[in-house]
Amino acid sequence: MTDDFNTYSEPMLEMFMFETNQSMEQLEEILLNIEGNSTITDDDINEVFRIMHTIKGSSSMMMFNNISKITHSLEDLFYFIREKKIYDLDLTRLSDLVFSTIDFISFEISKIEKGNEPDGDESQLTSNIKDYLDSIKNDHPDQEIILSEDEGNHENFISKENVSPNSNEFIAKIFFQEDCKMENMRAFTLLRDLEEIISEVSHTPKDLFDDEEAADKIIEDGFNMVFRSEEDYDKLLDLLKDGMFVESVELEEVEDKKAKSEEIKKKKVDLEEQKKKTINETLKNPFSLNKNKNIISVNVEKMDMLMDLVGEIVITESMVTKNPEIQNLELENFDKASRQLRKLNNELQDIVMSIRMIQIGPTFHKMHRIVRDMNKQLDKNTRLEISGEETEVDKNIIDTLGEPLMHLIRNSLDHGIESTEERIAKGKDEKGLVSLDAVNTGGDVIITIKDDGKGLNREKLLEKASKNNLLTKSPEDMSDKEVFSLILLPGFSTKDDVTEYSGRGVGMDVVKKSIEKVGGNIQIESEKDVGTTINIKIPLTLAIIDGMKISVGDSIFTVPTNTIKESFKAKKEDLIKDTSGKEMILIREDVYPVVRLHEIFNLKSEKTSLLEGILVMVETEESNYCLFADEILGEQQVVVKPIPGYLMQYTVKDSGVAGCAILGNADISLILDISGISNKYI
Amino acid sequence: MKKVLIVDDAAFMRHTIKAMLSKNGFEIIGEAENGALGVERYKELSPDIVTMDITMPEKDGIEALKDIKKIDPNASVLMVSAMGQEKLVKNSIIAGAKGFIVKPFKEDKLVEALNKL
Amino acid sequence: MTQNNEEKVEIQEEDTQKGRYLTFKLGDEVFGLEIKYVTEIVGIQPITNIPEVPNYVKGIINLRGKIIPVIDVRVKFKKEPIEYDERTCIIVIDIDDMSVGLIVDNVSEVVTIKEDDVVPPPSYKTGFQNRYIKGVGKSKDGVKLLLDCNKLLTNEEKQNINEIELRGRQI
Repeated sequence: MTDDFNTYSEPMLEMFMFETNQSMEQLEEILLNIEGNSTITDDDINEVFRIMHTIKGSSSMMMFNNISKITHSLEDLFYFIREKKIYDLDLTRLSDLVFSTIDFISFEISKIEKGNEPDGDESQLTSNIKDYLDSIKNDHPDQEIILSEDEGNHENFISKENVSPNSNEFIAKIFFQEDCKMENMRAFTLLRDLEEIISEVSHTPKDLFDDEEAADKIIEDGFNMVFRSEEDYDKLLDLLKDGMFVESVELEEVEDKKAKSEEIKKKKVDLEEQKKKTINETLKNPFSLNKNKNIISVNVEKMDMLMDLVGEIVITESMVTKNPEIQNLELENFDKASRQLRKLNNELQDIVMSIRMIQIGPTFHKMHRIVRDMNKQLDKNTRLEISGEETEVDKNIIDTLGEPLMHLIRNSLDHGIESTEERIAKGKDEKGLVSLDAVNTGGDVIITIKDDGKGLNREKLLEKASKNNLLTKSPEDMSDKEVFSLILLPGFSTKDDVTEYSGRGVGMDVVKKSIEKVGGNIQIESEKDVGTTINIKIPLTLAIIDGMKISVGDSIFTVPTNTIKESFKAKKEDLIKDTSGKEMILIREDVYPVVRLHEIFNLKSEKTSLLEGILVMVETEESNYCLFADEILGEQQVVVKPIPGYLMQYTVKDSGVAGCAILGNADISLILDISGISNKYI
Repeated sequence: MKKVLIVDDAAFMRHTIKAMLSKNGFEIIGEAENGALGVERYKELSPDIVTMDITMPEKDGIEALKDIKKIDPNASVLMVSAMGQEKLVKNSIIAGAKGFIVKPFKEDKLVEALNKL
Repeated sequence: MTQNNEEKVEIQEEDTQKGRYLTFKLGDEVFGLEIKYVTEIVGIQPITNIPEVPNYVKGIINLRGKIIPVIDVRVKFKKEPIEYDERTCIIVIDIDDMSVGLIVDNVSEVVTIKEDDVVPPPSYKTGFQNRYIKGVGKSKDGVKLLLDCNKLLTNEEKQNINEIELRGRQI
């Protein structure tokens, strides 16, 4: 990079990277479409051309010359294809070239993102593109490019024929600034600027438009004009000097001689304009490069700050409205105002949450490219089906999910889906199927990756785990689920069986870690020769829920209000024990299990008799049960924070804790996982 | 301060031009991402200068230039072009563009060009 | 040419952080933590219990809206636990986007220890804590045991189940 790069600010660079990355994604989509349909349309060609043109421009502004060069060569290729209207293209070769270009550019951008120099060498790829263009040219030698309106035109400059007696003759030599580019057009601009006041013009270089070397000639020798004008010398000199990017002007007033001088040549110039503007026609097609027209991009940090602030507002609102100092007062107006405040805060929360939520669709769509590449490399024929694209997920999660998903898809294709022959032999559809789904269950997002491949082999997994000293239980005691989870252990995959595609240092354990970092978990199901299903469950990172605070000894827990059915004090006659000694309670002819919170969390409580304390009946999808706690403290909206990443390596999540809530007084209350407790203790 | 309207379909270019000009005493009063919107905004904002990308969707720079010239024959429009677009530059000049600049360009060149308009 | 300059700059930046350790005390022993992992130091504050964690994980704290788990380093190193007082500090470290607070007796200062002054750690067998030490640093006011933050945060259950006592299940 040269000094000039320092004039480009961070925001400019970020915008460049953002736009280029977006363009690469669009380009990829177009190409996948072309491959999928096995045809290329005019729109496709135009869009690719346009994208290449735009990136050529911006990358050259940013002085990323390798990107500029490669996009230039692709632009030339697609320009030729468009102008010559060529449709019999070798689509495979063409798409490979474009995909390679996408990869090259994306890689360079990632270097820039990391603060490194984009030093990739584009020359091999550029020459491949040129070779392809040459081969197309060879195949289509006769077609003429349909020219724009004025190919073959002469100068469009009318020189005034009537020479006034007061006009004088002038000779001018003009040099333009170094590197102002298109010097011939600069000269033309100058002629237009002076149009009204000069006549009988002749100039060298003579031909500004068709002579390819006109610009060079002007750089060397300057733009030389001979003309007549009524204006005086000084005015003319000023006008000339005022020309855009004019470096120097030599102006000479010539004595009015009728005698022919070598430098005076009269020339008639024609003005011709073709009506058909063919190039402009083709460019007029409405593209939508910017698919999202009314969107602004916001810095993620600002969003995080906004979220935190909203959370704090919720907590502070509680501090005000539930302030002990006013608890016993009857304040009608205050209550009314509080309710209004609560209403507005709820709306604010909803909107802020929704801003951070992004559809998972684009992340899923990226997987198409992976599947395509792997199909090619592994000579397999696998289909990727995506569903649940509109499922919205917090931006944090989207960012973390990308890599793990890619790894899992690669795994499915590499280790899961069998070769076409094997599949046919097994009586399966010769096309393998990998499906990707996302569903929002209110509190969590569940992402499923399913393949119809050969499934996981229990014996082989156990063997491998044993070899790597990873077994902590005897194999007979392990359920299938536990055996399948072995692949998530660090050290499971040895370097020997890491193939090029599914795990260079990105083992399943790293996938697991990434998912746990956002508070999620991963589970694997599999059946031999049927396939493997991987379920990833991730809680929404920030939720604000209505919670009921209950106390157990010195601890305060929060129960999501939407799980509570009722609460009451137990009556002796309703308490019973079932055959295994578990405590139950009889309520209106139904019997419900009782879970003692102080027991499951090992807390000291004074209220150990079920008759003291309070019972809270909660419901899950499957059933209802009762929690036994000391007291109910009151309802409060709480900000839900996930269990910290560090704790995910322990069994905290399984113990019945769904997350943490920060209370109005800044204390932390653990949020109970009502279904988790049911699963574990009942 | 001269008021500038930037018309370009690439957000990056709009951003870059805006950054360059704001630093040099120009006021960016509007942006448009295609020629049609460019003409609309010209009508709304009456800028002193317009920077106009030559190739854009939904009405290219030259057509937009012509429309603007119809509204105000004295409009100062600077065309922004890329190498290899000589014919388009020529047509722009014929259509009344007061000047042009070629990508990639440095800040000082852009500023100098606008100062001449 | 530019590339070399950039490399040099990068190395320099690392250098300014390299060799700098935050030191803290547990009893008479002084430990050092690489400053690059430390995000802040706070005084001891109310800790909320968490079920099903090893005994050295004391619970979680609320640090300006962020929930941070805290570890009692004394307990982790199998030393005699002491009562927390106003000098007790929590050092918040951040590794791989995970934040953890370390409860220590008190925090001393930041020292610079050059690589030459660091010798390899003593063997495992001479002390439980030594498995967490990646080197012993010599500085003018004594020897400092330099901790390996990554090892500090790994769950050892997988390595040696017997040594971990699960909370609430002490016999």
